[in-house]
Amino acid sequence: MGIEVQFSTLFQQIINGLSLGSVYALIAVGYSLVYSILSFSNFAHGGFLVVGGYICYGLLAGFSVNILFTVPSFWWFSGFSVDFLLPVPSVNIWLAGAGALAGAGLIAILTERFAYKPIRERTSITLYLLIASMGISIVIENIFVIIVGGRFRALPPNTFPSKLFTLIGGVTVNASDILSLVFAVFFLGGLQLFLNRTRWGLAIRAAACDLRTAGLMGVNVSQLIAIVFFVAGLLAAVGGIFLSARYTLYPQLGGTITTKAFVAAVIGGLGSLPGAVVGSLALGLAEMLTAGFISSQMRDLVVFSMLVIMLLVKPAGFFGRQISDKI
Amino acid sequence: MKKSLAGNAAFIAIGVSLGLIPLSGYEEGIIVLLCINCIAAMGVSLLTGFTGIFTLGHAAYMALGAYTAAIMTVRYGIHWFPAIVAGGFVAAAIAWLIGMPTLRLTGDYYAIASIGLGEAIRLILENWQSFTRGARGFPGIDSYTTRWVAVLFFTALGTGMFNLINSRLGRELKASRDDRIAASLMGFNTPSSRMKALLISAFYCGISGALLGGYMNFIQPSMFDMMKSTELTAVVVFGGLGSMSGTLLGSAIITSAMEYFRDISQYRMLIYGLMLVTIMVVRPEGVLGNREIWSFLPGLTPDRKGRDQE
Repeated sequence: MGIEVQFSTLFQQIINGLSLGSVYALIAVGYSLVYSILSFSNFAHGGFLVVGGYICYGLLAGFSVNILFTVPSFWWFSGFSVDFLLPVPSVNIWLAGAGALAGAGLIAILTERFAYKPIRERTSITLYLLIASMGISIVIENIFVIIVGGRFRALPPNTFPSKLFTLIGGVTVNASDILSLVFAVFFLGGLQLFLNRTRWGLAIRAAACDLRTAGLMGVNVSQLIAIVFFVAGLLAAVGGIFLSARYTLYPQLGGTITTKAFVAAVIGGLGSLPGAVVGSLALGLAEMLTAGFISSQMRDLVVFSMLVIMLLVKPAGFFGRQISDKI
Repeated sequence: MKKSLAGNAAFIAIGVSLGLIPLSGYEEGIIVLLCINCIAAMGVSLLTGFTGIFTLGHAAYMALGAYTAAIMTVRYGIHWFPAIVAGGFVAAAIAWLIGMPTLRLTGDYYAIASIGLGEAIRLILENWQSFTRGARGFPGIDSYTTRWVAVLFFTALGTGMFNLINSRLGRELKASRDDRIAASLMGFNTPSSRMKALLISAFYCGISGALLGGYMNFIQPSMFDMMKSTELTAVVVFGGLGSMSGTLLGSAIITSAMEYFRDISQYRMLIYGLMLVTIMVVRPEGVLGNREIWSFLPGLTPDRKGRDQE
């Protein structure tokens, strides 16, 4: 009896883990794509996810916006307060999703254009980009704190089917878990086709090898980087929608999840897309199995231990290019 | 020799004036906070600016220092001075354990590992309920960090740091930052000097955390999250990598800017984020670049100007 229960928990957690891992994969792949071109950790990636989640939420449920604008008190102008309810357009999940994807992609392009481009044109030190990306992630997070407030929001009920299937042995599967898995496979497959079958895909693969040389071969590098950021933002938004369906939506969601996606990308090998997928699935499984068998408070600890152990044993990750100190 | 004596005297004079100028209670609080932030920033500056090891996890060492001092003073009734110093040593000891395997990593990979380790330490503090009281935080710490305590630690550690970066070890660190292989070929034991830099920086952060606990009377693991670590590194980059006086200047500017915007707390973090981005876009090399502040004074130290620009 005991063993049977353990067994069904195991199955249950494997399915949950794969579903969570597939959402992580959407985010980690976009992150890894940016890393492979510009070789810096884009900490603002989680911001794109939050943008996508909030656009989707706003289109489905509407927002009550409450902006209290105050300035330091010794100025003659002490501030004003804006308070209104954004009208609720009655759109379905498909339109809301499409809006979220496009919006997040656009924000990603704008971020690159106004924050990263001036820096990368001036210096080749990626640390500056890294710190700027942390600044951007703080900015995006706090814009949402100011405009829509920091409270937790759930997507309206019945946005996604929530039917429960019971498989053999008492294993229950939520339809939305299957849905997120299907969508992740769909978008990752689409990305694969885009990278392998189109001219821009070829250019991106060339740029991942050597951005400068790709530029010399006639690739429009600015446009290429904009496309890469759009794709990354779009994938992050897909992840964001499913994450806000799975948990809830709040401005700090991005930071937590970026760290996870980042760990997944490192485990799989920074800059490698198959690596990001494998790392994400491994991470999702590890998290859910820890939650099922040990304690759900240990989840994050396991995640970070995996990161550190991986870095010590094989810093290049499962699929990463071998790094070596150049002499 | 004479020059370094003048430098020490100048630094101690700054410390004495910080300690003695009459100020209101609110201004005193800012001075204390400034000293605490500067101590941590100096530690990170030694590692990041002078040794070239980027860290995004040093808030964890502050947390270790803070918890050590808090537990020693509250649970065991130990006097605050040994408790603060012990905070520094515990942070350094953990840094040694962590540094042994991870300092082999270079560049981005150390930064990534430091994120993981920093978060792991924070999560352990958060989940070890019986010892640290977990995520609810640790209340009831005596307010031992008075103005003169903070200024005393700042002056002592600051003088030590400025002497250190011009000492043999300091030059060794700069050499291994500029070219690790060349420094090794010159006969420097670079792994050992990198480890020393990590230990000293962890010690500074530990002391800073212990002082912070005594200033706030309350500590919580979430005070020492990745955001705090980023802030430490950002302050150092803002001041200028490889410039210790730049670090102090950057820390002072950011601390007072955050204090200025306290009235509009809702916008504080937004402004902070915008500041980070703007600095990186407008002047990524930081306020002072890699020069010390006295090298800008005309005719004072012409030889140093040339050397530090290298």
